[in-house]
Amino acid sequence: MNRNGLFLGGIVAAIVIIVALFSLYTVNPREQVLLLQFGAPQRLVTEPGLHVKVPFLQQAQFIPKMLLNLDAPAEEVIAQDKKRMVVDAFARWKIVDPLRFYQSLYDETTATMRLTPILSSDVRRVLGSQTFAAMLSGKRAELMVQIRDEINRDADGYGIKIVDVRIRRADLPPQNSQAIYRRMQQERTREANEFRAEGEEISQRVKARAEREVTVLTAEATRESEILRGQGDAEKTKVLGAAYGQDADFFAFYRSLEAYQDAFPGDNTTMVLSPTGEFFRYFGAPGKK
Amino acid sequence: MPWTNQPGNGSGNPPPGGGGRGPWGRGPVGGGQPPDFEEMLRRSQERLKRILPGNFGGPGFGSGGLAIIALAIVAVWLMSGIYVVSASEQGVVLRFGAFAARTAPGINYHLPWPIETVDIVDVTHPRQITIGDRPTESHDADQSEDITQEGLMLTGDENIVNVNFVVYWVIKDAANYLFNVDRPDAAIKAVAESSMREVVGKSPIEPILTQDREPIQIEVRDLMQKTLDTYGAGVTVTDVKMQKVDPPDEVLDAYRDVQAARADQERMRNEAEAYANKIIPEARGKAARIVQEGQAYKQRVIAEASGEAKRFLSVYEEYRKAPEVTRKRMYLETMSGILGSSNKVLIDDSAKGVVPYLPLPQLKTNDSRSVTVTEQPMSASQPTPAGTTP
Repeated sequence: MNRNGLFLGGIVAAIVIIVALFSLYTVNPREQVLLLQFGAPQRLVTEPGLHVKVPFLQQAQFIPKMLLNLDAPAEEVIAQDKKRMVVDAFARWKIVDPLRFYQSLYDETTATMRLTPILSSDVRRVLGSQTFAAMLSGKRAELMVQIRDEINRDADGYGIKIVDVRIRRADLPPQNSQAIYRRMQQERTREANEFRAEGEEISQRVKARAEREVTVLTAEATRESEILRGQGDAEKTKVLGAAYGQDADFFAFYRSLEAYQDAFPGDNTTMVLSPTGEFFRYFGAPGKK
Repeated sequence: MPWTNQPGNGSGNPPPGGGGRGPWGRGPVGGGQPPDFEEMLRRSQERLKRILPGNFGGPGFGSGGLAIIALAIVAVWLMSGIYVVSASEQGVVLRFGAFAARTAPGINYHLPWPIETVDIVDVTHPRQITIGDRPTESHDADQSEDITQEGLMLTGDENIVNVNFVVYWVIKDAANYLFNVDRPDAAIKAVAESSMREVVGKSPIEPILTQDREPIQIEVRDLMQKTLDTYGAGVTVTDVKMQKVDPPDEVLDAYRDVQAARADQERMRNEAEAYANKIIPEARGKAARIVQEGQAYKQRVIAEASGEAKRFLSVYEEYRKAPEVTRKRMYLETMSGILGSSNKVLIDDSAKGVVPYLPLPQLKTNDSRSVTVTEQPMSASQPTPAGTTP
């Protein structure tokens, strides 16, 4: 029994294993399975886990259950106002009807090939009906929703659903960028000039005001000073007038003498005079004249 | 970053022996009890014996060595289910592809492949995605060109700004993260880019460069979170940080010049104010001086005048007592004072004829001042030059 039995046992085990390999399959949460019988869809298995099928007769077609990516290449779109922009959009989609998906698109690779032109053309159509300025506004979110709905309409019957379309980039072509750079530069230059001119203005203003203040201060001080001087002079006139007024004749004499003294102060005055007059009264003749 | 590149272990493969993943024996063993391997091993051996024909491995069968090899293979197979979840991670166990359990940090065991598989994801450490300029890590010129392009975006007023930002995110739900979205990391990056562009595209450039960073960061974060939630991506965007927000390189100089102009303006204002602050107090001081001088003049003049008046009055007082004599005395005194100290040329009326020959210029040059006093038509005949010595 032993040798033959072992051999038999081995064969049975091998058959069991082979049958198991062809009749068992696992489904993970990322995918679902369409069971095909001679190519004809039979049953949909969405529950993850270990599953059984009829070996050789049935085939398991794995279909992704995840949210899938669809990237449109960046391309130039002409907006309604004839402005060009480079738009790079992507969509996220998933398979909602695996049977239909399998029948129409077969697998993810084919789906990508078929859906990419749809995404491109819908992006083009929707954005082409808008002005460039609309892209740069709150309208962007609305436009993305609109594109999504368009694709869903166009892709109707493929058993898929576009969950979200997002515009990754909507930029100007390089040559337009250069124009924008030039404009930005000009604007900045203008701004800088403005700042500098304003600085000059402020400077002049502040300096002029300060100088005015200086002038006013000086003038007011001078006024006050002159008033004071005038008061002094007035007082002087009054005092002297009162004093000298007592004897005008004597004042004249007295003041003249003082003036002579002031007028010929030192030894460096040369006088050419004739010895006459009051002072020389006795100069030539000591007797009484 | 070491944790950015660890999105589980792919789909179908068991982790390599469970080893080499963080420190053994570390990590809280809190929740579940540690699995008893010996017990498991023993039990599975028994199970194996039951499954295989009764005499297999028995003493009656000669090839005991074969059995030992088979057992060793089975043991290794069973051992392959040991894996470690470190403190920051979460394990997701799939049994035949179906979600079976989440495992906590510590040493864990899953039934070996193909029965169970585990995906381990880091759920605590924030991951980051940098968009825009990066520290130069690639030498590929094309790629770095791409990266700078990545940060350039249009603003609402049709200007271009170069934004460099980092998105920090964590996995909220490991199962959702692993199973719901195809290539989740790429999805997060794409969503980050489009969200930032959408938000920046609504705002004029000036606030983006200056005060609006904070609100933009928050808006982008919220928009990303909302979008990723609709994907069921199982992640939480914790933070969006704008790192460098600059005008494009092409216009950076112009922007810098604006800053410089602003500084110039400030400088000119300061200079003017410094000038004002200097001259006004000086003028105030000068004004005070002028007033004081006026005051001084007034007081001096009054004092002098009153002195002069008093002096005159005093003299006058005495003069009145003997006017004639005093008058004469005063005259003579004064004249003697004047004439005594000056150079004199006396010319008698009779010497009138010499006048034309007087070397007047010489007399003048001898002295700085010369006065000619001619009292009356002269008629002296004898010239009397005197005191002409210098």
